[in-house]
Amino acid sequence: MNESRSPTRLIVPVLVLLMVFAALPAVLASFDRGYFYQIANLSLIFVLLAASLHLVTGVAGLLHLGHAAFYGVGAYTAALLATKAGLGFTFTLPLSGLVAALIAFLVALPTMRLVSIYFAVATLAIGQMLYLVMLNWVDFTKGPNGIIVTKGLNLFGFDLSGRLGTYYTVAAVVTLCVIAIGRLSHSYYGNALRSIREDDQCADAMGVRTVRLKMEVFTLSAFFAGVAGSLWAHMTGYISPGDFKFSESILILAMIVVGGLGSLPGAIIGALLLILLPEGLRGMGDFRNVMVGVVMFLSILFLPRGLLGEVSALKLVRQQLNAAWRRTDNGIGIGWR
Amino acid sequence: MTTHLLDIDQATRRFGGVLAVDSVSSHVDEGELVGLIGPNGAGKTTLFNLISGFTPLSAGTVRFRGRTINGMRPNQVARLGLGRTFQNLRVFPNMSVFDNVSVGAVGTLPQGPFGALFARDGRAKDISDRTWHALELAGLTGVADELAANLSYGRRKYLEIARALAMQPKFLILDEPAAGLNDTETRDLAAFIRRLHAGGLTIMLVEHDMNLVMGICQRVIVLASGRKIADAPPDEVRRMPAVLEAYLGTDEGEMGA
Repeated sequence: MNESRSPTRLIVPVLVLLMVFAALPAVLASFDRGYFYQIANLSLIFVLLAASLHLVTGVAGLLHLGHAAFYGVGAYTAALLATKAGLGFTFTLPLSGLVAALIAFLVALPTMRLVSIYFAVATLAIGQMLYLVMLNWVDFTKGPNGIIVTKGLNLFGFDLSGRLGTYYTVAAVVTLCVIAIGRLSHSYYGNALRSIREDDQCADAMGVRTVRLKMEVFTLSAFFAGVAGSLWAHMTGYISPGDFKFSESILILAMIVVGGLGSLPGAIIGALLLILLPEGLRGMGDFRNVMVGVVMFLSILFLPRGLLGEVSALKLVRQQLNAAWRRTDNGIGIGWR
Repeated sequence: MTTHLLDIDQATRRFGGVLAVDSVSSHVDEGELVGLIGPNGAGKTTLFNLISGFTPLSAGTVRFRGRTINGMRPNQVARLGLGRTFQNLRVFPNMSVFDNVSVGAVGTLPQGPFGALFARDGRAKDISDRTWHALELAGLTGVADELAANLSYGRRKYLEIARALAMQPKFLILDEPAAGLNDTETRDLAAFIRRLHAGGLTIMLVEHDMNLVMGICQRVIVLASGRKIADAPPDEVRRMPAVLEAYLGTDEGEMGA
């Protein structure tokens, strides 16, 4: 009963890609204001941060309170490699991800047997440690002064540091990473992670290597956060420890909770909402932060499962991406290809 | 001596000063349908946990498929071919029935993120086919898309069994499968277990109530106060004075007719 892919079902992803790679750049170019480009890039970077946290906290159910620190590790890796070793974006992009992943793997070794609130506090401590290293190891990181990254975006010799070039680079990297995260969370691998979230002892009895999977997903998510960090470093040209403090971790966490824990489309929507809303409300002055708080509060009160909750998100992806393994007699997609 | 599928040798478990399981030895051969019974607190669940790797042994050894499983994690024992259900129904409530069962299939196949990321090696199809087959056996294909939390109690029992079947186990242990079911449901369950057994699966029933066990098992192991007091076919066990005494000595003392 496995049906072939029908093109009509791919409308939503095609529309999203057209929006990101054609409509939005056209709008940005017509306004031609650097500020709008910055907002677009920032939104995309936070989409990647939310998507990567979604993997750990939404799918595998590990409350991770130090995600921004791995974002920072990626950004500092890129900045230091660019300024001290003169490496370009072609090298710093993968290396930032790998360094963040390596550090995540090392701290995960002793942490992964902790559960629930103890795990959360451990990740909080890890985040603080990394933040304090960025802040206080002045010889290496220039401390609170931050680092000016002179190298712009440049891939395989092509200069992409113009406004549109930067936007396209960020959009392409983020899109690729989100697709990868989607393949992980919308697959049998994602199901194994979800089983750990639901009942890890029971998952263990089903043969799922719970500790190993938790380490893997923690490391993978740090990899993607590191990639986001290198995008940020090369895009803004200046990084400082303040970009990676605890409140940023909480902001990313708020994005995935508002969007819907366990839902990748939800994480993306949450990220866009919590970046664009404060910008859209700039006219309200200081009052805007209160408004953002109100929106978050109301969304949790009335939509505790998120703007696009996990169950609807999984159905949406099965339908729209034609990712279902088979259809039941009444046409509902189940399983993953 | 031939090797048994499961070999329990002087298995002992102490909790503080309490001997929950006291030097129990027994075995299960391939193709058997064995019952493990005993009054409340007899040590059935502890023995089960020793077999499945949930609780470490204080002394003795347990061998499964020729491998000593002392010190193994539950997932290692599971991947050797031990499928189980839980006494207090443990389904994954926020996952669909299909996704629940697929975890059993994922668990016993190689797991890794890169397979899911890049490969088109047919693993997803293997997992899905196994899952669907288990759903068919348990009669759950009609609710494959439902959230597990929305199923009735009885159906969740079948869901747990389906999830264990998707592991394609060599040995299936059902922990009090009849608990909370009415007589009709228990009869249906007995028929289901018989069908699975007829299909070649080795099964152990851990039961507190004797009716189901006496009805379908070929051999019954009886525990009382952590010790094995009987290990024989149901007809013999029913007449053993030690068994009668153990059961009549408690408030739950009904013997299966």
